[in-house]
Amino acid sequence: MRLPRFDYYSPNSLPEALTWLTEHRDPGIKILAGGTDLLVDIRGKVIPDGHRPRCQQHRRGPWSARAAAVEPVNCLMALSRVPELRGISLDGSRLRIGAMTTIAELERSPVIRELLTGLSDGAAQLGSPLVRNRGSYGGNLCNARPAADTAIPTLSLAGKLVLVSSRGERIVDHGDFVTAPGATVLESDEILKEVVFDIPDERRGSGYIKLANRKSLEISMVGAAAALTFEPAESGAGRRSGERGNIVREARIALGAVAPKPLLTAEAGEYLKGRKFDPDSAAEAARIAADTARPITDHRGSAGYRKMMVEVLVRRVLNLCRDRALTGVAREVNV
Amino acid sequence: MKRVVKLRVNGLEYEVALEPRRTLAETLRYDLGLTGTKIGCRIGDCGACTVLLDGVPSFSCLVLAVEAEGREILTIEGVADGGRLHPVQQSFVEVGAIQCGFCTPGMVLTALALLKDNPDPTDAQIRRAISGNLCRCTGYQKIIEAIKDAARRMREKQGVL
Repeated sequence: MRLPRFDYYSPNSLPEALTWLTEHRDPGIKILAGGTDLLVDIRGKVIPDGHRPRCQQHRRGPWSARAAAVEPVNCLMALSRVPELRGISLDGSRLRIGAMTTIAELERSPVIRELLTGLSDGAAQLGSPLVRNRGSYGGNLCNARPAADTAIPTLSLAGKLVLVSSRGERIVDHGDFVTAPGATVLESDEILKEVVFDIPDERRGSGYIKLANRKSLEISMVGAAAALTFEPAESGAGRRSGERGNIVREARIALGAVAPKPLLTAEAGEYLKGRKFDPDSAAEAARIAADTARPITDHRGSAGYRKMMVEVLVRRVLNLCRDRALTGVAREVNV
Repeated sequence: MKRVVKLRVNGLEYEVALEPRRTLAETLRYDLGLTGTKIGCRIGDCGACTVLLDGVPSFSCLVLAVEAEGREILTIEGVADGGRLHPVQQSFVEVGAIQCGFCTPGMVLTALALLKDNPDPTDAQIRRAISGNLCRCTGYQKIIEAIKDAARRMREKQGVL
């Protein structure tokens, strides 16, 4: 079966792309980034719908994996030749990642491994090597699936999305970007240009753990990402007691595949803030996180199992973050 | 509407008139007659359509042919040196890593890219590298052995030179 007929436009610069989008406001226009989701979604389904769900609850759930049926497409605007959307750059304490940066580039970047370790973890577990070589970071975010492997760490690391149009630029927190499965606040004339991260001066550890039935080509059953920033160790009384370096300054915990969109569990983060990090506080934060999860039952797992796994994964990822904050990631062995 | 696209495949220039919806896999097979590239799932799951785009393994079923313009495309037809098989191909044959053969072109190209980056990969690294290429016959073990064998051959050859 061939792809449906569509027109194709490939701008060579960002202004060119934005002007064209402003002039052609049409819901039939889709933006083509890596194509690993879009070209799958616009192809007529090979399997008839009646045969689709392997599990009946999948249909009855409040949201389903491919709920947003793709409207007819009449034109693709390709971003592959827009140079402004590429590249990773560190400018002082701000790290910028262009939207067309591939998942493989994220995975291999030493800067991201060091400063946004959770995002590096997510990129390394997305799809398969072939998907990562083509798929883009911006595409994974704009596709807005609740389990997206780069979105959950982006949320935990407080990524800010820079949306551009010919009207100007606006900056949206990742937490406000996704509105529903597959839907975002992007207007029809807007493009996600880049994602910006503030890198704190304090020691921060971040991580992402994905629970899935296999290691490759899998959508997570539960994903947990966290970023923990600790108080500096070298001040006054705390130094003597050896505790101050263990006090959490900020904690952000994000969950994937347990709600209609990536979920920031503010309550669990709030609980850890200002508290000493130890096995008990990590376990309590994990319990709180599990309470905030609103998973559904589908063929990947039941709601009850998912909730239990949120607790386990959050506990593990918090401990991982702490180890990384203490010892850094340089010595970790990467397969 | 069709447009003329210049593609560079296995070192040769081709000019093809095609619709934007034509995928690279379709173009290779139906327009250029390079049927070594297989089409399996069409949705980026199976890896049978793997080609190297500027040296990077990519599934050609999810790349529009118009997007491949200006890129260096390597398909399985361009791997052997005339009548002489590439060491990776030779190892696949000798170790017994080919059964039905449908995944083989993609596997060979993925292995080629891996060995270029990493001339002495561990089993775990090989498994990870081929984790997007599905094989329903071999159980992967022979494929992994073949890639290790090819790595050894290529290192030895380099040592001689």
